Formats: sequence, structure tokens, C-alpha cells
Amino acid sequence: MRKTNCEVIRQELDELALGETISAAAAEHLRECVECREFNEKQTRLRQIVGGLGTVSAPPDFDFRLRARLANDANGAAFHFWPLARRSLAFVAVLLVFVIGAIVVRNVFKRPVQNNQLATDQHSTAPEPRAVPTVEQKEQPNPAPQIVVTSSDKPSQSIKGERPPRIKRPLVAEDFSNTRAEVINGREPSGAFEVLPLDSSLQSFKLSLDDGRGNARTIFVPTISFGSQRILQTANQYASKRDW
Amino acid sequence: MNTLTTINELGFAPALQQEMLEDTTSDHALLEATRTGDQDAFAELVSRYRNQITSYIYRMTNDYDGAVDLAQETFVRVYRAADRYQRSYAFSTYIYRIATNLAISELRKRKRRKLVSLTGFFQQNDGAEAKEFNPPDARPLQDTELVDTERRSAVQRAISTLPEKYRAPLILRDVDGRSYDEIARILETSEGTVKSRISRARGFLREKMRAYL
Repeated sequence: MRKTNCEVIRQELDELALGETISAAAAEHLRECVECREFNEKQTRLRQIVGGLGTVSAPPDFDFRLRARLANDANGAAFHFWPLARRSLAFVAVLLVFVIGAIVVRNVFKRPVQNNQLATDQHSTAPEPRAVPTVEQKEQPNPAPQIVVTSSDKPSQSIKGERPPRIKRPLVAEDFSNTRAEVINGREPSGAFEVLPLDSSLQSFKLSLDDGRGNARTIFVPTISFGSQRILQTANQYASKRDW
Repeated sequence: MNTLTTINELGFAPALQQEMLEDTTSDHALLEATRTGDQDAFAELVSRYRNQITSYIYRMTNDYDGAVDLAQETFVRVYRAADRYQRSYAFSTYIYRIATNLAISELRKRKRRKLVSLTGFFQQNDGAEAKEFNPPDARPLQDTELVDTERRSAVQRAISTLPEKYRAPLILRDVDGRSYDEIARILETSEGTVKSRISRARGFLREKMRAYL
């Protein structure tokens, strides 16, 4: 009960302005309670010290500097919104960095998963020897050699973003470089190179350029092969260093 | 009336007397005049409040140069927003609210800078920043003036260690002597909250200033 009374009196003392008369009840209580009297003395002393800090004066050139500032502001009124614009630009830049970063991270984590998926699919669908119903293949003494590749990647059953543990699993690949592509139109070829007759436009392409300083540069564009055509040597292999 | 007597007694010229009487023009009227482009009215407003605002911001930030800059920024904002000023509350409340917001923003900026500053680890503190309160030397000093100076400095340092939500109401009440009602309007909070924050702030200060009480 007494404690509650002390709290009420202290609150009253706290809310009074310095020098303001305290109520009769509070005065009575202060006469009886030593703790509250001590509290009141300390509180009054503290408020006197804090109140004694006084006012700090502005510097003498305050008005002059203010006028200069206002004049500058009036001249640069067009730039009032520059801080806001700058903040917006910074926000957009940060957002862009995050988006680009997220895309890069996504691609980095996604690529091995896709490759692994392909490898797994290729492995699981078991590449059986492909039967090409052509005469040429029958004539070939050596069928396409099978190459066994050891992959260090793991099948893609991992959670996205998690790097899969390394499991060595053999992959089977088949070399089709010596075999001919399937004939799509159903017409049986009569000769070894009559599968897809090439016209002259499909021959390799050579172009010489002069850069105007007496340096001649030659560009070779080899014929593109789609499978049944014989693969030509890359012309660049025999070109001089100046040719590209 | 007393003012008139004083001016007459001083024997100023009639024009100057008129000029001095205009000091009694209300802040609202001065701001209205500023709105219409009267630069002198704005200058009068500045001269009325420059010391109060500078002092208040200085007590809040404990940095005089920064306080002067922020006080100027306060007046710049008043000038720019003169068209939007509403007479629903006193001009002093309005200008103190702007000053409080600027001071609190500055304190938060400093806190952020302090958080991100790595060079601070290798630099000596120049005393401009609010730092942990250091208890004073308890030995008595002979010179009274020195004691007062030391005490004021200790109070200022102790205030600068208070959390900003306690600092502003304490300064407005105990240093500037404003009423609870006005403080509540400046800080845009209830009177009860102001009273409780001031009480807590004094409690903190009592602990920190024990050696001086």
C-alpha cells in the first residue's frame, strides 16, 4: 500500500514543473517518507542541472549562410528532385543486379542438371545398334565403333540448387561419323555418294578481302555436313596465320 | 504596454520604434507575409527561432556544426513549404517538429555509418559522435566554474547517450521548458507517452549522473 502511494507521489513530483507547488498530500508524504524525499531532492537537482544547460547561440553568419543557401536552392530548383531520382536509380540498379545475379545462379545450377538428365536419358534408353536399311552399311566391314565414356556427373535426381554427389557411371556413345544418314524420301540410293546430291552452291566457299592497307585476308567457309555427306577438312587447318 | 514604455525610455527614433513594435507580429502573420514574397518577414522569423532551433538540435546531436547545418535546413524547409503551411497549430510546434525529424534522421544516419564503418576500428574517436557515457572523476575540483563546466559537459554527454525517443522529450521539457501538450504535438504522440518517456529518461540520467547528484 505504502509502495503504491510512493509511486503515485513520485509520478506527481515527476510531472510538476520546476518550482511548481506540490499538493498537500504529496508534502505530507514527503515529510514521512525518507526515500521519496531523497528521490525528490535528487530529481530536483538533476532537473536544475539539465535546465542549466541553457541555449546555445547560432553563429553570427547564420543569416548570411541561410540566404546563400536559399539563393542556391532557387538557382538549382530543377534539381530539387535529384535526391529522389538518385535514390530511385540506385534502387533500380540494385534490383537489376539481383535479377541478373539470380538468372546467372539459376543457369549455373540448372546446366549440369540438364546435362545430367540428358546423359541419364541416353543411358536409360539404351542405345541399341541402329539398323540403317541401306546397302552401304551392309557393305561396311567395320560397323560404327562403340565408345565407352566415363562420366563424372551424376544423374539428375537432386533437388534444384543442390550439387549432386559424384558417381562414376559409364555412358555409351556411338560414332556415326562413318555412317550415312537415313534416306527420308524412300528412294534407294544408287551409288555411294548419291544419297543427297549436292549442287554447286553447297561447295566450299572462299572469299578474299583486302583491308585497304595491302593486307589480304582469305575466309574459307566449308560445306556444312548434315550426316550423309562426306566431311571435308576444315580449310582453316591449312590456311596461313594471316587467313582466318 | 511595458514594451512601449521601454522603447520610449530608450529614446529610439520613431521609425525604429515602429520597427521594434513589429516584433510583436505573430509568427503566423510573418509566415503569411513570407508566402507573398516578403523576405524581411522571413528574416524576422529566422531571427526569432535561430537560437532556439540551433540549441535544440545541438542538444539532440551533440555536434555544433552539424546542428547549425540542420537548423539552416529547418528554415529552408519552412521557406519552401510556406505555401502548404496550415494554421491549425502553433508555428513553434511546426518548426520544432521539422527540427526534431531532421535531428532524428541525422542520429539514425550516424548509427548506420557507425555500423558500416570499418575504418572506425583504426581511428581515434574525435568526440563528435555520441559515445558510451564515461563516469567522471569523483575527486572534487577547487574551481566552481570548472565544476560547472565539467558538470554541463557530463550532462550533455549523458543526454547524448539516451535513446532518441527519450532524448527529444527530455530536452523539450527540461532544457526548453515546453509543456507536455506542446511536446506531444511536436512529437506527434500522446501526452501520456510523453510523460512516461520523460520519466524514463530522467531515470536513465539519474543513474548516469549519480556522481553529480
